Amino acid sequence: MNPAHLDYDTLAELAEGLLDHEHAASANEHLDDCAECRERSAELADVSRILAEAPAPDMPADLAARLDAAIMAEAMSSSTVTSLTHRRAGRRWQILSVAAASVVAIGGGVLIGGAVLKGADSPEGTAQATPPRVADPTDRGASEGALSSRSDRSGYPVLRSGTDYRSGTLAERLRAGLASPPPPGGGAAPAELAGCVSAVAGNRQPYLVEVARYEGAPATLVLLPAGEGRFDVVVAGPGCAAGRPDVVQRLQISR
Amino acid sequence: MAFVSDVVPDKELLARHTQGDPHAFGELVQRHRDRMWAVALRTLGDPEEASDALQDAFLSAFRAAARFRGDAAVTTWLHRIVVNACLDRLRRKAIRPFVPIGDDATFDSVAPKMADPTDAHGVSLDVIAALQMLSPEQRSALILVDMMGYAVDDAARVLEVPPGTIKSRCARGRARLVPLLGHLRNRRANGIVGDTEEGGGEST
Repeated sequence: MNPAHLDYDTLAELAEGLLDHEHAASANEHLDDCAECRERSAELADVSRILAEAPAPDMPADLAARLDAAIMAEAMSSSTVTSLTHRRAGRRWQILSVAAASVVAIGGGVLIGGAVLKGADSPEGTAQATPPRVADPTDRGASEGALSSRSDRSGYPVLRSGTDYRSGTLAERLRAGLASPPPPGGGAAPAELAGCVSAVAGNRQPYLVEVARYEGAPATLVLLPAGEGRFDVVVAGPGCAAGRPDVVQRLQISR
Repeated sequence: MAFVSDVVPDKELLARHTQGDPHAFGELVQRHRDRMWAVALRTLGDPEEASDALQDAFLSAFRAAARFRGDAAVTTWLHRIVVNACLDRLRRKAIRPFVPIGDDATFDSVAPKMADPTDAHGVSLDVIAALQMLSPEQRSALILVDMMGYAVDDAARVLEVPPGTIKSRCARGRARLVPLLGHLRNRRANGIVGDTEEGGGEST
């Protein structure tokens, strides 16, 4: 009846219900009779199907990271609270890099390494940013109530041995040293040393403080009773001072 | 971190963001970035441009969050910002000169020669290349409706045009794509001869 074939535009508009009533009726009539136009109509339907089935492109990993960083930066610059967090996180990085420059291959290195990873992977983790935990003041010290008398912190013995400890033999040599009784508890330690020990030990009462060397550098070794004949040993580096433990090594030994 | 199970609604996240929660917006982005990336790449056809547009879009959404009207879905609002960032970029830079339809030589230079109908990456690239032959308006409409599965009314809200305009753009766009996507159609048709199921793409 209608000899004119239907073009793609007309067919597509027909499918979307965009043709007026009269036009649509004649187009449908033509389609009933014309296989060629029905084929074209099927081609059109396939366009939508091909589009729907096209696989979604994967977002490149570097873009995902870039977006996270851009949004994090925006969040920091737009909020004083978060910029404080940012500064704190930055300071922590400094502390960590100092520690990393010292000898932290074993033992306590795990803790510090973990903090580094946390800072790198989840910037939001820095919201509750605290300085790296070092002295573990409460956990194990709780069982040492008799010794961790908080008012009597200066009563620990200080041994100035000058021994140059090595990481590989540190535990062994300390254990040997523990076989002999500690030197008599001295009076007040020099202020500098007391500040360092206090930063390292927190609320715990040291069993012994040894001024020595570790891997060739000046070091302060703080031995903290951990119950049942065990001791936490914290090796503090030359930067150790009040409020700044500068821990280079931690380990636990038993008598 | 045990918040995997409790899913905070998009609107709640956006509200927290406007109240100063520094992590809320990042979570919102992580939730929707894959879909937004698909929209941006398909709209712009160029990964570099799409990356920049997406970053622009997320940052402007970050800043404009306070102006979000609660009556729309957050995804609608985000899509709108992403699409607009892409269209702005197209207008400013004219990344790809417009190619008249029917210029087979030019199209062949853009479309990869595909050997394997099951090559998903190749299909994806072919489709993206073909989309670039449409006007940006037709392209955006088709991406939302045919590719992202939006209802016409929802696409109309994203693009802020009447539903009839979306239908018309889709119709025109599909008509133009028929010759550009025909090679995908034929390949597939050959692959499933005698079987209505998608039978592993074996072609004989």
